Amino acid sequence: MSGNKVEDNVDHASNSKGISLPMTRVKLIMKSSPEVSSINQEALLLTTKATELFVQYLALSSFLNGSGKDKNTLSYSDLANTAEETETFQFLTDILPRKILVRDYLKSLEENPVEEADN
Amino acid sequence: MEGDSSTTDASQLGITGEYMSGGYVLQSPDDDGEESLNDHEDGGMKENFREQDIYLPIANVARIMKNGIPPTGKIAKDAKECVQECVSEFISFITSEPLKLYLQKFREAMKGEKGIPGVSVGEGLGEELTEDNFTNQLPAGIITADGQQQNVMVYTTSYQQIPGVQQIQFS
Repeated sequence: MSGNKVEDNVDHASNSKGISLPMTRVKLIMKSSPEVSSINQEALLLTTKATELFVQYLALSSFLNGSGKDKNTLSYSDLANTAEETETFQFLTDILPRKILVRDYLKSLEENPVEEADN
Repeated sequence: MEGDSSTTDASQLGITGEYMSGGYVLQSPDDDGEESLNDHEDGGMKENFREQDIYLPIANVARIMKNGIPPTGKIAKDAKECVQECVSEFISFITSEPLKLYLQKFREAMKGEKGIPGVSVGEGLGEELTEDNFTNQLPAGIITADGQQQNVMVYTTSYQQIPGVQQIQFS
Protein backbone atom coordinates (compact mmCIF):
# COMPACT_ATOMS: atom_id res chain seq x y z
CA MET A 1 0.00 0.00 0.00
CA SER A 2 1.30 3.41 -0.83
CA GLY A 3 -0.01 4.76 2.42
CA ASN A 4 3.05 3.90 4.45
CA LYS A 5 4.52 7.34 4.36
CA VAL A 6 1.15 8.86 5.05
CA GLU A 7 0.67 6.58 8.02
CA ASP A 8 4.07 7.56 9.36
CA ASN A 9 3.12 11.19 9.16
CA VAL A 10 -0.19 10.46 10.79
CA ASP A 11 1.44 8.52 13.61
CA HIS A 12 3.90 11.29 14.16
CA ALA A 13 1.16 13.87 14.31
CA SER A 14 -0.83 11.85 16.78
CA ASN A 15 2.16 11.14 18.99
CA SER A 16 3.23 14.74 19.16
CA LYS A 17 1.22 17.21 21.17
CA GLY A 18 -1.06 17.94 18.23
CA ILE A 19 -3.74 15.38 18.91
CA SER A 20 -5.11 14.28 22.25
CA LEU A 21 -8.16 12.30 21.21
CA PRO A 22 -7.99 8.57 20.48
CA MET A 23 -8.20 8.16 16.73
CA THR A 24 -9.40 4.57 16.89
CA ARG A 25 -12.43 5.72 18.82
CA VAL A 26 -13.08 8.53 16.35
CA LYS A 27 -12.82 5.99 13.54
CA LEU A 28 -15.38 3.81 15.26
CA ILE A 29 -17.86 6.65 15.47
CA MET A 30 -17.28 7.54 11.84
CA LYS A 31 -17.83 3.95 10.81
CA SER A 32 -21.15 3.84 12.59
CA SER A 33 -22.61 5.95 9.79
CA PRO A 34 -24.38 3.56 7.44
CA GLU A 35 -23.03 4.91 4.17
CA VAL A 36 -19.40 4.78 5.17
CA SER A 37 -17.30 1.81 4.14
CA SER A 38 -13.67 2.69 4.68
CA ILE A 39 -11.90 5.74 5.99
CA ASN A 40 -8.86 7.42 4.58
CA GLN A 41 -6.13 7.81 7.16
CA GLU A 42 -5.67 11.49 6.44
CA ALA A 43 -9.40 12.09 6.64
CA LEU A 44 -9.37 10.43 10.05
CA LEU A 45 -6.58 12.66 11.27
CA LEU A 46 -8.35 15.72 9.96
CA THR A 47 -11.63 14.72 11.57
CA THR A 48 -9.93 14.11 14.91
CA LYS A 49 -8.24 17.49 14.84
CA ALA A 50 -11.46 19.17 13.72
CA THR A 51 -13.25 17.51 16.63
CA GLU A 52 -10.76 18.92 19.11
CA LEU A 53 -11.21 22.39 17.69
CA PHE A 54 -14.95 21.90 17.82
CA VAL A 55 -14.81 21.03 21.51
CA GLN A 56 -12.82 24.16 22.26
CA TYR A 57 -15.11 26.29 20.14
CA LEU A 58 -18.25 24.93 21.77
CA ALA A 59 -16.82 25.26 25.26
CA LEU A 60 -15.65 28.81 24.74
CA SER A 61 -18.81 29.97 22.97
CA SER A 62 -20.99 28.54 25.72
CA PHE A 63 -18.77 29.95 28.43
CA LEU A 64 -18.87 33.43 26.96
CA ASN A 65 -22.59 33.10 26.42
CA GLY A 66 -23.12 32.38 30.09
CA SER A 67 -20.56 34.71 31.56
CA GLY A 68 -23.04 37.57 31.48
CA LYS A 69 -24.57 36.01 34.55
CA ASP A 70 -21.32 36.65 36.34
CA LYS A 71 -20.53 33.08 37.20
CA ASN A 72 -17.31 31.33 36.47
CA THR A 73 -18.68 27.89 35.72
CA LEU A 74 -19.70 26.41 32.43
CA SER A 75 -23.00 24.67 33.03
CA TYR A 76 -25.32 22.50 30.99
CA SER A 77 -27.79 25.31 30.48
CA ASP A 78 -25.06 27.47 28.91
CA LEU A 79 -24.53 24.75 26.35
CA ALA A 80 -28.24 24.31 25.70
CA ASN A 81 -28.74 28.03 25.24
CA THR A 82 -25.78 28.31 22.90
CA ALA A 83 -27.10 25.42 20.80
CA GLU A 84 -30.46 27.13 20.44
CA GLU A 85 -29.14 30.58 19.71
CA THR A 86 -26.11 30.00 17.53
CA GLU A 87 -26.71 28.85 14.01
CA THR A 88 -23.51 26.83 13.86
CA PHE A 89 -24.68 24.63 16.70
CA GLN A 90 -28.23 24.12 15.49
CA PHE A 91 -27.54 20.47 14.73
CA LEU A 92 -27.06 19.91 18.45
CA THR A 93 -30.51 21.08 19.52
CA ASP A 94 -31.92 17.57 19.56
CA ILE A 95 -29.38 16.27 22.01
CA LEU A 96 -29.12 19.44 24.07
CA PRO A 97 -32.65 20.17 25.13
CA ARG A 98 -33.23 22.98 27.55
CA LYS A 99 -34.23 21.81 30.96
CA ILE A 100 -37.07 23.26 32.92
CA LEU A 101 -38.33 22.42 36.38
CA VAL A 102 -41.39 20.23 36.57
CA ARG A 103 -43.39 22.82 38.41
CA ASP A 104 -42.62 25.46 35.77
CA TYR A 105 -43.68 23.07 33.05
CA LEU A 106 -46.95 22.28 34.79
CA LYS A 107 -47.54 25.95 35.33
CA SER A 108 -47.02 26.71 31.66
CA LEU A 109 -49.41 23.93 30.79
CA GLU A 110 -52.05 25.48 32.96
CA GLU A 111 -51.56 28.86 31.41
CA ASN A 112 -51.50 27.59 27.86
CA PRO A 113 -53.56 24.47 27.71
CA VAL A 114 -52.27 22.48 24.77
CA GLU A 115 -53.52 19.08 23.71
CA GLU A 116 -50.74 16.70 24.52
CA ALA A 117 -49.74 14.24 21.84
CA ASP A 118 -50.15 10.60 22.62
CA ASN A 119 -46.89 9.17 23.91
CA MET B 1 -7.88 -3.46 6.19
CA GLU B 2 -4.93 -3.26 8.48
CA GLY B 3 -6.47 -5.64 10.95
CA ASP B 4 -7.35 -3.11 13.58
CA SER B 5 -8.85 -4.58 16.67
CA SER B 6 -11.61 -2.06 17.04
CA THR B 7 -14.63 -3.43 18.76
CA THR B 8 -18.21 -2.47 19.04
CA ASP B 9 -18.63 -4.38 22.28
CA ALA B 10 -20.32 -1.95 24.59
CA SER B 11 -18.72 -3.17 27.78
CA GLN B 12 -15.22 -2.78 26.45
CA LEU B 13 -15.82 0.70 25.21
CA GLY B 14 -17.10 1.97 28.49
CA ILE B 15 -20.18 3.31 26.79
CA THR B 16 -22.42 5.18 29.12
CA GLY B 17 -25.38 4.50 26.89
CA GLU B 18 -27.20 7.59 28.01
CA TYR B 19 -29.59 9.04 25.56
CA MET B 20 -31.51 12.23 25.99
CA SER B 21 -34.77 12.44 24.15
CA GLY B 22 -35.78 15.58 22.34
CA GLY B 23 -38.03 18.24 23.80
CA TYR B 24 -37.97 19.26 27.40
CA VAL B 25 -36.07 17.31 29.99
CA LEU B 26 -37.80 17.64 33.32
CA GLN B 27 -35.80 17.85 36.49
CA SER B 28 -36.98 17.77 40.06
CA PRO B 29 -36.34 20.95 42.03
CA ASP B 30 -33.69 19.52 44.30
CA ASP B 31 -31.18 18.05 41.98
CA ASP B 32 -28.86 20.05 39.83
CA GLY B 33 -29.31 18.03 36.74
CA GLU B 34 -26.91 15.17 37.31
CA GLU B 35 -29.69 12.71 37.96
CA SER B 36 -31.76 13.65 34.96
CA LEU B 37 -29.36 11.98 32.59
CA ASN B 38 -30.51 8.67 33.99
CA ASP B 39 -34.17 9.45 33.64
CA HIS B 40 -35.08 7.33 30.71
CA GLU B 41 -36.49 3.91 30.12
CA ASP B 42 -34.10 1.06 30.05
CA GLY B 43 -35.97 -0.39 27.12
CA GLY B 44 -35.20 2.67 25.09
CA MET B 45 -31.53 2.46 25.90
CA LYS B 46 -31.17 -1.08 24.68
CA GLU B 47 -33.33 -0.77 21.61
CA ASN B 48 -31.89 2.42 20.28
CA PHE B 49 -28.19 1.74 20.10
CA ARG B 50 -27.53 4.78 18.00
CA GLU B 51 -24.17 5.96 16.88
CA GLN B 52 -24.32 8.69 19.50
CA ASP B 53 -23.92 6.02 22.15
CA ILE B 54 -20.27 5.59 21.31
CA TYR B 55 -18.38 8.36 23.01
CA LEU B 56 -14.85 9.62 23.28
CA PRO B 57 -13.26 9.32 26.74
CA ILE B 58 -14.60 12.01 29.01
CA ALA B 59 -11.18 12.81 30.46
CA ASN B 60 -9.86 13.80 27.05
CA VAL B 61 -12.96 15.81 26.26
CA ALA B 62 -12.82 17.60 29.59
CA ARG B 63 -9.18 18.45 29.13
CA ILE B 64 -9.78 19.96 25.73
CA MET B 65 -12.70 21.97 27.07
CA LYS B 66 -10.51 23.34 29.82
CA ASN B 67 -7.96 24.38 27.25
CA GLY B 68 -10.63 26.30 25.39
CA ILE B 69 -12.00 28.43 28.18
CA PRO B 70 -10.14 31.02 30.28
CA PRO B 71 -7.92 29.38 32.89
CA THR B 72 -9.99 30.49 35.84
CA GLY B 73 -13.15 28.90 34.51
CA LYS B 74 -14.76 25.75 35.85
CA ILE B 75 -16.90 23.18 34.14
CA ALA B 76 -19.94 21.44 35.56
CA LYS B 77 -19.98 17.67 35.45
CA ASP B 78 -23.16 17.45 33.40
CA ALA B 79 -21.67 19.93 30.97
CA LYS B 80 -18.71 17.61 30.39
CA GLU B 81 -20.99 14.66 29.82
CA CYS B 82 -23.16 16.43 27.38
CA VAL B 83 -20.22 17.82 25.39
CA GLN B 84 -19.06 14.22 25.17
CA GLU B 85 -22.34 13.40 23.45
CA CYS B 86 -22.14 16.49 21.27
CA VAL B 87 -18.73 15.38 20.08
CA SER B 88 -20.04 12.05 18.89
CA GLU B 89 -22.91 13.83 17.16
CA PHE B 90 -20.44 16.20 15.52
CA ILE B 91 -18.28 13.38 14.17
CA SER B 92 -21.29 11.55 12.78
CA PHE B 93 -22.56 14.78 11.29
CA ILE B 94 -19.44 15.73 9.38
CA THR B 95 -18.97 12.15 8.27
CA SER B 96 -22.43 11.48 6.95
CA GLU B 97 -23.75 14.81 5.68
CA PRO B 98 -21.33 15.45 2.80
CA LEU B 99 -21.58 11.79 1.83
CA LYS B 100 -25.36 11.94 1.73
CA LEU B 101 -25.31 15.05 -0.43
CA TYR B 102 -22.81 13.53 -2.80
CA LEU B 103 -24.69 10.24 -3.11
CA GLN B 104 -27.94 12.06 -3.67
CA LYS B 105 -26.50 14.07 -6.52
CA PHE B 106 -24.79 11.03 -7.92
CA ARG B 107 -28.02 9.05 -7.91
CA GLU B 108 -29.96 11.85 -9.52
CA ALA B 109 -27.44 11.96 -12.29
CA MET B 110 -27.55 8.21 -12.67
CA LYS B 111 -31.31 8.29 -13.13
CA GLY B 112 -30.66 10.40 -16.16
CA GLU B 113 -32.79 13.34 -15.19
CA LYS B 114 -31.40 15.33 -18.03
CA GLY B 115 -31.29 12.37 -20.34
CA ILE B 116 -33.67 9.68 -21.36
CA PRO B 117 -35.60 8.01 -18.62
CA GLY B 118 -34.80 4.35 -18.48
CA VAL B 119 -31.50 4.56 -20.26
CA SER B 120 -28.75 3.56 -17.88
CA VAL B 121 -25.67 5.63 -18.00
CA GLY B 122 -22.68 3.85 -19.40
CA GLU B 123 -24.42 0.75 -20.57
CA GLY B 124 -26.39 0.52 -23.75
CA LEU B 125 -24.76 3.53 -25.29
CA GLY B 126 -22.81 1.33 -27.64
CA GLU B 127 -25.94 -0.43 -28.79
CA GLU B 128 -27.80 2.81 -29.30
CA LEU B 129 -25.19 4.17 -31.64
CA THR B 130 -26.11 2.15 -34.68
CA GLU B 131 -25.77 3.03 -38.30
CA ASP B 132 -29.49 3.28 -38.60
CA ASN B 133 -31.63 6.30 -39.16
CA PHE B 134 -30.43 9.01 -36.89
CA THR B 135 -33.55 10.94 -36.25
CA ASN B 136 -33.97 12.03 -32.69
CA GLN B 137 -30.95 13.55 -31.16
CA LEU B 138 -31.25 14.16 -27.50
CA PRO B 139 -28.47 15.94 -25.71
CA ALA B 140 -27.71 14.41 -22.37
CA GLY B 141 -25.38 15.72 -19.73
CA ILE B 142 -24.15 12.71 -17.92
CA ILE B 143 -21.86 12.51 -14.96
CA THR B 144 -19.61 9.51 -15.27
CA ALA B 145 -18.22 7.46 -12.46
CA ASP B 146 -15.07 9.50 -12.06
CA GLY B 147 -17.11 12.61 -11.53
CA GLN B 148 -16.45 14.22 -14.86
CA GLN B 149 -19.40 15.69 -16.62
CA GLN B 150 -19.47 14.77 -20.23
CA ASN B 151 -21.91 15.83 -22.83
CA VAL B 152 -23.07 12.83 -24.69
CA MET B 153 -25.38 12.73 -27.60
CA VAL B 154 -27.78 9.88 -27.27
CA TYR B 155 -29.40 8.74 -30.42
CA THR B 156 -32.59 6.90 -30.83
CA THR B 157 -33.60 5.09 -33.87
CA SER B 158 -36.94 5.74 -35.36
CA TYR B 159 -38.83 3.73 -37.82
CA GLN B 160 -38.98 5.78 -40.96
CA GLN B 161 -40.48 4.81 -44.13
CA ILE B 162 -38.84 6.41 -47.09
CA PRO B 163 -40.77 5.89 -50.27
CA GLY B 164 -38.88 4.09 -52.92
CA VAL B 165 -36.12 2.92 -50.69
CA GLN B 166 -35.98 -0.56 -49.53
CA GLN B 167 -35.62 -0.79 -45.85
CA ILE B 168 -32.22 -1.80 -44.77
CA GLN B 169 -32.16 -4.74 -42.54
CA PHE B 170 -29.38 -5.31 -40.15
CA SER B 171 -28.86 -8.80 -39.03
